[in-house]
Amino acid sequence: MQTSRVASDGMVVVDCDIHLNDLPQYLAPYCEMPWRKSLEQLGRTPQRYLDIPGYSPSFGQTPPLPGGHPVRSVDTPQAMRDELDTLGVDYGIVLPDHLLLFATLSNIEYATALSRAYNRWLVAEWLREGNGLYGAVMACPQNPDDSAKEIERYAGVPGIVAVYLPTAGVDPLWGHRRYDRILAAAEAAELPVMLHSVTVTSPAFPTQLNQFENQFGRQVLGHPFAMMANLVSMMHTGVPVRYPKLNIVFTEAGVGWAPFMMWRMDRYHQEYRRSVPFLEERPSDYVKRQMWFATQPLEEPVNAKHLVETMEHYGGADRTLFASDWPHHDFDHPRGLARLPLTQEQRRKIMGENALSLFKLPKPERLAKKEKQLV
Amino acid sequence: MSNNQEAAEAETRAPRSARTPVEYPVGRASEFPPGAHKIVQVGTQEVGVFNVNGDFHALINVCPHQYGPVCAGPVGGEMSCNAKTDWKFHWSRDGEILICPWHGLEFDLITGHCLAPKEMRLRKCKVKVVDGEVRVSLGSG
Repeated sequence: MQTSRVASDGMVVVDCDIHLNDLPQYLAPYCEMPWRKSLEQLGRTPQRYLDIPGYSPSFGQTPPLPGGHPVRSVDTPQAMRDELDTLGVDYGIVLPDHLLLFATLSNIEYATALSRAYNRWLVAEWLREGNGLYGAVMACPQNPDDSAKEIERYAGVPGIVAVYLPTAGVDPLWGHRRYDRILAAAEAAELPVMLHSVTVTSPAFPTQLNQFENQFGRQVLGHPFAMMANLVSMMHTGVPVRYPKLNIVFTEAGVGWAPFMMWRMDRYHQEYRRSVPFLEERPSDYVKRQMWFATQPLEEPVNAKHLVETMEHYGGADRTLFASDWPHHDFDHPRGLARLPLTQEQRRKIMGENALSLFKLPKPERLAKKEKQLV
Repeated sequence: MSNNQEAAEAETRAPRSARTPVEYPVGRASEFPPGAHKIVQVGTQEVGVFNVNGDFHALINVCPHQYGPVCAGPVGGEMSCNAKTDWKFHWSRDGEILICPWHGLEFDLITGHCLAPKEMRLRKCKVKVVDGEVRVSLGSG
């Protein structure tokens, strides 16, 4: 692939959703006993991408088809750095591959150990000063008490800039009060929470996608349904009111669903205000103040202007974060956003400046140097 | 009723003045005990007249949301839940909140403001009691 920096004018590019390959054998040395034994055993078993029973249960029901494009994984931070350079990305926020399915794991002790192992591995192996890779502590919805302690433990650790909320198949949804400790810990640590789902068929609302005959149907619905359900879940228990400093990032669902949900919540807030009296403003007001939307997989309407107008409803360039989802099958190249009719200032915010301030990242060296030369 | 019609005719004839709006008699004060309300005709307008804890309030019977007959709805109180209530549900202001029968929007009878969204409001009219007679005048109250 040719290097294709979109930032020739000195624009910083922060990619808010990239994925590392988190095979069980990689995490095993960082895992407590006896669950290390489970990971070692999984490491000796033939493995498929996002489809490891007992680790990343995908509940696949459909036959493999010939054709299609290859599955990509990134196994080392050096490989990730090189690939981000090729994409023209300065910084990337890393999230898992297989553990996107983490919330579907039902054994509480195992899930607790696994989330701790992932966090240890992430910090020890992936986050190095100067490599431009930043991480999100994985929350463990199966064990909110331990998860809150884990967030406190990693708050302030160099390279940790967010809390990852496993969203695919999470039950109950993230607005449930059992997660209050997790959200309170994230707010206290000044770490934004990042919801990330993945296409999965599970008994948990809204992932009962079993009737769909193919990946087209499941993929179209899976991510945005998960984000819509979790947004409403958080709003209906007043999460943004109860945690007014908490920043909430929605990833990998595109952006078009957000205005629809804002308007729908506003409409029913008028009718049911007394059932959510803690919402003293319109639900959309909280969205526009505390929530962020990562671009990928960005909708591709024939007229790109329509997408920019859609984005404006939730705050547009002030609430949007660039994300590529590298190295996944439906990644967005930074260049893809070049076709959007945005002003240069809007483009700078979306591509990186919003993320620099949200995740408190330093200005990249190449830009700092450039500024020095100018002075 | 005939008094009301005469007042309406008088308003049609008289040169309009913001300072001296026509007062429409809408009934005896004794017909509006505290907590009671009635929809009355005031010229061309339907107006809800409410006795809230001894004070009279009159509001045009049109909901700004979808033009429903807001004053035909029940009167209740305000549910709140915030830091001041220690994030517990709290019921207060019983008798001061009007609920539109069409879509359940809640309005503060005293100010006319909607509880959500706050910038929406009902039009209030002037109302007073003269010699035991309730009189409503159109125009801002």
